[in-house]
Amino acid sequence: MQEDLKTLVKGQVLAVKDLPTLPGVLDEVTKLVQDPDSSTEQISKAISRDQVLSAKVLKMVNSPVYGFPGRISSIQHALVLLGFNVIRGIIISTSVFDIMQAAMKGLWQHSLGCATACGIIARRVGIEEPEEFAVAGLLHDLGKVVAIVQLPELTGRINEAIQDKDLSYYEAERHIMGFGHDRINAWLGRHWRLPANLREAMARHHRPETAQHYPEITAAVHIGDFLSRAFEFGNSGDDQISYLSPKAVNVLKLRMADLERIMDELAESYLDIADLTF
Amino acid sequence: MDARVSPCYFNHPQRVFLVTPDEDLLQLLEGLWWPGCMEFTLFSRAADALEQLFAQPPDLLLTDQRLPDMTGAQLANLVKGENVYRQLPVILCLDHEDMEYPWDWNEVEVDDFLFRPFFPAEARDRINLTLLRALRALDANPLSKLPGNTSILQRTQDLVDRSEAFALGYVDLDHFKSFNDKYGFSRGDEVLMMTARLIVNTVRDIVRDKRELSFVGHVGGDDFVFIVSEPRAEAVCLRIIEAFDGLVRGFYDQEDRKRGGIVSTDRQGNVQHFPFMAVSIAVVLNPSGKLRHAGEAASIAAALKKKAKESPESSYVIDQRRA
Repeated sequence: MQEDLKTLVKGQVLAVKDLPTLPGVLDEVTKLVQDPDSSTEQISKAISRDQVLSAKVLKMVNSPVYGFPGRISSIQHALVLLGFNVIRGIIISTSVFDIMQAAMKGLWQHSLGCATACGIIARRVGIEEPEEFAVAGLLHDLGKVVAIVQLPELTGRINEAIQDKDLSYYEAERHIMGFGHDRINAWLGRHWRLPANLREAMARHHRPETAQHYPEITAAVHIGDFLSRAFEFGNSGDDQISYLSPKAVNVLKLRMADLERIMDELAESYLDIADLTF
Repeated sequence: MDARVSPCYFNHPQRVFLVTPDEDLLQLLEGLWWPGCMEFTLFSRAADALEQLFAQPPDLLLTDQRLPDMTGAQLANLVKGENVYRQLPVILCLDHEDMEYPWDWNEVEVDDFLFRPFFPAEARDRINLTLLRALRALDANPLSKLPGNTSILQRTQDLVDRSEAFALGYVDLDHFKSFNDKYGFSRGDEVLMMTARLIVNTVRDIVRDKRELSFVGHVGGDDFVFIVSEPRAEAVCLRIIEAFDGLVRGFYDQEDRKRGGIVSTDRQGNVQHFPFMAVSIAVVLNPSGKLRHAGEAASIAAALKKKAKESPESSYVIDQRRA
């Protein structure tokens, strides 16, 4: 029975055609792509604040049509390879959520919060491409967005379980469906041919110790998720404190003093981005 | 206004073999182009045309389905069955009754058809389109679909002939071979596709005005070409290098990314270290139209390339010689 549900849900998830976003960033990017004087850097910076636009751009650039599937994990690189016309096409074909917008704002903010934390962690640890870590953080809850769009009935039951049983979103998903958004992330990542490092971080951020090939980026997303919750920046669907894996902290060789510095820097960044509109 | 097609529509007069017992058809067609645009040769039987078709293939074969000695479809298959003539575009002329049942175009290798009664304007444009389509398909690089050598040469020669100032950039990759050797050609192709896309978008991003000079071609392998106006050249080089250096690491496996390149052992057992791939760009200028031939640009570029290659990192050299 459980397996049947999983197959059914997987089919529905992968059939996602229109992944809407919130109007804030979309409006801004629309203006930028219409302005002949705007630069790729400006556009990529704006897109990097929106999980759905970022996911669409990465899905496009990693599609086999371009000839290098699974190779591009940075928005800036993706824009250089896609070009203005394709970006314009993606923007035009992206719609906006019409209902439940208020509830979704928290999730967008949480994702941006996690991305910001991942970027700071990556730079602090001395990672060569910190933007990839930030992208992984931005996309870590994409499975939730797709579930909201494709599985409205199950999502309703998940939200009820969070209220009634005082569960975390992740626990409630597993209680109702038998698996969580990390599994949905894995399906999407494979189907959309995202690079392996992003896929692993998206699929294993709740259990970073199971990461096989990319333990660092996975650990960073795990910690980023935790920090963004601890600061209560946005809302990922529940108000529980998540578990922090000590192994994840060790993988990145972070000491307490490092974490404190990361949190100081993060607090400042959050002040800067708190008034962004979604 | 004269509805005839002007001679400069194509770069050189197009040779068309017309195989038909219907002599009126030749007359009808000849009136559609200006003299000097098309050269029609009429054959009334397939057998008459065959030897010339093989010896000096034309730019287009236009054949009637109803021929005294075989069908037009058979003639088309006879010619297109040989790999060296596969690119020759063929148009088949049909009668109404030929259209009763669907044709199996898998079996009949033609590129387009016309049918009676002929509507002259349609015939004219179908023939033009078929010729241009064949030209484009012939010269596109099979991997990147960018214009290939013929177009690159033609474009350069046009500019040289007009004594126009331009900058011609030759782009190639350092250490591409070691990458191909280790990862295999399909991973190598990924890098070439990325490079093609990168050059196209960089040039397009810098040259936003569609009327301004801009062209990107793929010579083959890891050799690419771009043409822009002289003042744009340096910005294009800098942007290509910046983007390529940022992107290329993602095409290596994780271990090599961490190691900073490829370590391999040659046949003598010597360990060799190859850094990440890099781009070398040699830019040839044509100030005050000093170049006389497109080939000159290539040889100047070859000399400049040596200079660019001296650096293991991505670099560009712009021709400093002035006329």
